[in-house]
Amino acid sequence: MPNRKNIDTLEDLESGLKITKDAQKIFSTYTQEQVDKIFRAVALAANNLRIPLAKMAVEETGMGVIEDKVIKNHFASEYIYNKYKDEKTCGVIAQDEVYGIKKIAEPIGVIAAVIPTTNPTSTTIFKILLSLKTRNGIIISPHPRAKKSTIETARKLLEVAVQAGAPENIISWIDTPSLELTTYLMQNADTILATGGPGMVKSAYSSGKPALGVGAGNTPAIIDETANIKLAVNSIIHSKTFDNGMICASEQSVIVLDKIYDTVKTEFATRGCYFLNPEETEKVRKTIIVNGALNAKIVGQKAHTIANLSGIEVPEHTKILIGEVESVELSEEFAHEKLSPVLAMYRAKTFEEAVEKANQLILDGGLGHTSSIYINPVEKDKLELFEKTMKTCRVLINTPSSQGGIGDLYNFKLEPSLTLGCGSWGGNSVSENVGVKHLINIKTVAERRENMLWFRAPEKVYIKQGCLPVALDELKHVLDKKRVFIVTDTFLYENGYTKVVTDKLDELGIIHQTFFNVAPDPTLACAKEGAKLMSEFKPDCIIALGGGSAMDAGKIMWVLYEHPEVDFMDIAMRFVDIRKRIYTFPKMGTKAYFIAVPTSAGTGSEVTPFAVITDETTGTKYPLADYELMPNMAIVDCNLMLNAPKGLTSASGIDAVTHAIEAYASMLATDYTDALAIQSLKVIFEYLPRAYNNGASDVEAREKMANAATMAGMAFANAFLGVCHSMAHKLGAFHHLPHGIANALLINEVIKFNADETPTKMGTFPQYDHPHTLNRYAQVADSLGFGGKTDTEKLENLIKKIDELKEQIGIKKTIKEYGIDEKAFLDSLDAMTEQAFDDQCTGANPRYPLLSEIKEMYLNAYYGGKK
Amino acid sequence: MSYNLNEILAERSTKTVYRDGDKTIKLFVEDYAKSNILNEALNQARVEEIEGLNIPSLAEVTKIGNRWALVSNHIEGTTLEEAMQANPEKEDEYLNLFVDIQLDILSKSAPLLTRIKDKFKRKITHTTEISDDTKYELLQRLEGMKNHAKLCHGDFNPSNIILANDGKHYILDWSHVTQGNASADVARTFLLFSIQGKNELADKYLKLFSQKSGIEIKYIQRWIPIVAATQLTKGIKEEKDFLLKWVNVAEYQ
Repeated sequence: MPNRKNIDTLEDLESGLKITKDAQKIFSTYTQEQVDKIFRAVALAANNLRIPLAKMAVEETGMGVIEDKVIKNHFASEYIYNKYKDEKTCGVIAQDEVYGIKKIAEPIGVIAAVIPTTNPTSTTIFKILLSLKTRNGIIISPHPRAKKSTIETARKLLEVAVQAGAPENIISWIDTPSLELTTYLMQNADTILATGGPGMVKSAYSSGKPALGVGAGNTPAIIDETANIKLAVNSIIHSKTFDNGMICASEQSVIVLDKIYDTVKTEFATRGCYFLNPEETEKVRKTIIVNGALNAKIVGQKAHTIANLSGIEVPEHTKILIGEVESVELSEEFAHEKLSPVLAMYRAKTFEEAVEKANQLILDGGLGHTSSIYINPVEKDKLELFEKTMKTCRVLINTPSSQGGIGDLYNFKLEPSLTLGCGSWGGNSVSENVGVKHLINIKTVAERRENMLWFRAPEKVYIKQGCLPVALDELKHVLDKKRVFIVTDTFLYENGYTKVVTDKLDELGIIHQTFFNVAPDPTLACAKEGAKLMSEFKPDCIIALGGGSAMDAGKIMWVLYEHPEVDFMDIAMRFVDIRKRIYTFPKMGTKAYFIAVPTSAGTGSEVTPFAVITDETTGTKYPLADYELMPNMAIVDCNLMLNAPKGLTSASGIDAVTHAIEAYASMLATDYTDALAIQSLKVIFEYLPRAYNNGASDVEAREKMANAATMAGMAFANAFLGVCHSMAHKLGAFHHLPHGIANALLINEVIKFNADETPTKMGTFPQYDHPHTLNRYAQVADSLGFGGKTDTEKLENLIKKIDELKEQIGIKKTIKEYGIDEKAFLDSLDAMTEQAFDDQCTGANPRYPLLSEIKEMYLNAYYGGKK
Repeated sequence: MSYNLNEILAERSTKTVYRDGDKTIKLFVEDYAKSNILNEALNQARVEEIEGLNIPSLAEVTKIGNRWALVSNHIEGTTLEEAMQANPEKEDEYLNLFVDIQLDILSKSAPLLTRIKDKFKRKITHTTEISDDTKYELLQRLEGMKNHAKLCHGDFNPSNIILANDGKHYILDWSHVTQGNASADVARTFLLFSIQGKNELADKYLKLFSQKSGIEIKYIQRWIPIVAATQLTKGIKEEKDFLLKWVNVAEYQ
């Protein structure tokens, strides 16, 4: 390398790091094609160098087996190339224009690569290839014991990389390794790829830089009595002797079930393994481990050499020294990781005992690494126990663990890697086999998208005066219903409102039963009572006839009847987005078809997915919402409304006004709901005073109001409501004001609040791009022909017209005028405020209200303007 | 002030310890670094300031001829080592006391003392007794150790505890005191027993300490190669082979 200066001192490293950082800056601009060309050239070169590098590593370190190191070099080049050759690692790697999301891969910078003595050349090849593929620079910190072979690998690959077009110095290394330089490198690189023992890994993690480090393994292998013994024993021998046992995933202990112990032992012995007698076991014990640490002299040595060091004689070609031991505690030397062809063998009476032993061995020193089992794979229960118990990031089945753990040799979906993550159990940041994805930063580019919206209504809505009995014909002739359960209130029942239904059912020969106990603000107890009757009567159709109370009670009874198993508190759980709610509402309609027949013009419940129910024990009102609660059929027949009293006409009529206004201002409003809301308002402003004044004599006004209320219902069934309803719910609950009146008293405050062009906080919804509710209200005023030049004037006119309407239908101006005691009101104010804030309706409001703002609106509504 | 140096209590290669009445005089060899001696005096003074430890107080730092001397108040009594030799049947009882005293010391802190990791790093870096490869391994192992701030005596063995005639026990020789990881200090004591060939006592000590402190033996053992390496720097020939065996270990991978 003509331009390379050796790195021997801290000063050299400082400037070397800068040089590689600069090189990486250039490299970061390379295209995928350029990178892939370099990646391929370097992989090829590494592959070609597999034998000389293997020889060098063994010669230098005095550890391992040349032929096995050739395999490792081959693996590190060919398998890694094959795995990642087509992987996108530069620039845009994934894109979905529809969803507006894009993933861009960027390099991390310069990687500090710490290389172990056990696999110096293959690990160097591996880390260089990963770095090149990801456009990172890399500086290698060799272990002093393996520096020659490590550096030679890096030098050769750098030459090839540069020839293939990589920037000069994109790969560098420390020529004179010392801990000082390694530490500096780790502290000043952009990320650390550390392979080594716990000390190494800990210092990597404490360097202050993000690190991918791995740690010690202590792989136990269970041989179950159902295992293929020949396969098991020979796999273990194959794995344990690989590079003289220096792969960290290598088996350290074998736990054999009692029943097959002798057969296993014979097979090991037949295949050239040596069983140590107790005396020899003791000698080996004291040789391999010194004060709980691994004797460096035995690492990567042949079995025969280790036997000699222990002062015992074994045949020269002995494959593995096996000690038959009992304890799995660390006080037993054989229970440790041995990094050499020395194996502990345990006998287990039961499978559970074997798993327990394996678990202890993992806890002793192999947390997070690898565990292995030989078993007939049909033994699902045993496998499940093993998989569940092992705190290891790789659980290998019928696989030699050295070759198996590094992936792609015995299982082709386990990523090939020479850096095996051990997860949090091993103090690692990754739990999988480390690959290119760990060396790139992925930018996610997310573009604003709007939510899909919807329009939902009952499948059938029948309208026109006198339509009720006609529509009911369907029960027999289309829907083939046999048993109808009618839900209504006492007043309507006693005054014959249900007669038209029951007469028709009698005529059709349909059996029916009527529950007429629904009171205003229906309670959960009432719904349960009705549901109980339903469960006895077993209707295949429910007709809820009445105002909001009867229809809402009918909906709840319907739920309890169809799904007696549901927990009411689950279905009452408040949510932010109806599509993302935690609780999935049960499927409705499997037992009964639901028909809603309104007897007042206002609630809209006949076409909404909502129902409000009161828990009589606490007084809490629960607004339930889910499209499963949508009636299957709504029958809007003004004949049932002709004789409504004035109070009901005005309260329910003004309720419909607030439905339409809040649905129009809602963040979820669509063209569909807008049309319904506007038309509804037009009709109400014209016909509500007539209906109120003329009563039963003005059928036209009654019919118009019936339709307007249902249209407003359809609007808010889809666009939802706002904070006016949130506040009205609580005002009604605390001070027993009719729902429509409560809304009427608050709507103007809310309109003013929402119209503010500089709200404290706006609502969160992609469609709502800026505070524009003033303009929305102006559109309402325009549509209704209220006049005004500017949006502000139009707003004022709208408010004025609402006030006039309220006056025409006898609604008072303030909460106070309804006789609510001032002290009682003020005492309840904080509780009302907090509950209103948390009401389900608040979510769709275009202005996100602060608690203090809700409180102020309440006060204004109480006193009539600012006090 | 002049002292009567007739009664020798102990002789080491770098110093001789005398007794004169109620004083103990530690007289260093002539070429012993002044900084070491003053540092030892300072260390002892710092430990004296810690409440709840019985140690002989430093009376004077002086020169006798060309040689530096540290003068402390003499504590009358027998060392724990002597007591253990004299009453082998009471070994368990004495060991129990020994561990309790060590735990008591470790419960104290002295924030101005040298940090044990710094001291060990310096020692291992500068030693010529071990190869660069092994140094690299040991320093890396040391680097990964947790930084604590416990008072570590540094040479805690029964010969440094006096069972005084007044019934109290006193802890002597604070020349190696540092602050740091308790396990390092325990590993040192284990090593000191082992060097003397008291392997059974060493094992018993380690188990007892682990039991009483709740510190797992494997954590203490992780310090042994490091402590052995620092012991090597003392250059005691007879210990060398033994210590090298303890030092030459590999990290698990």
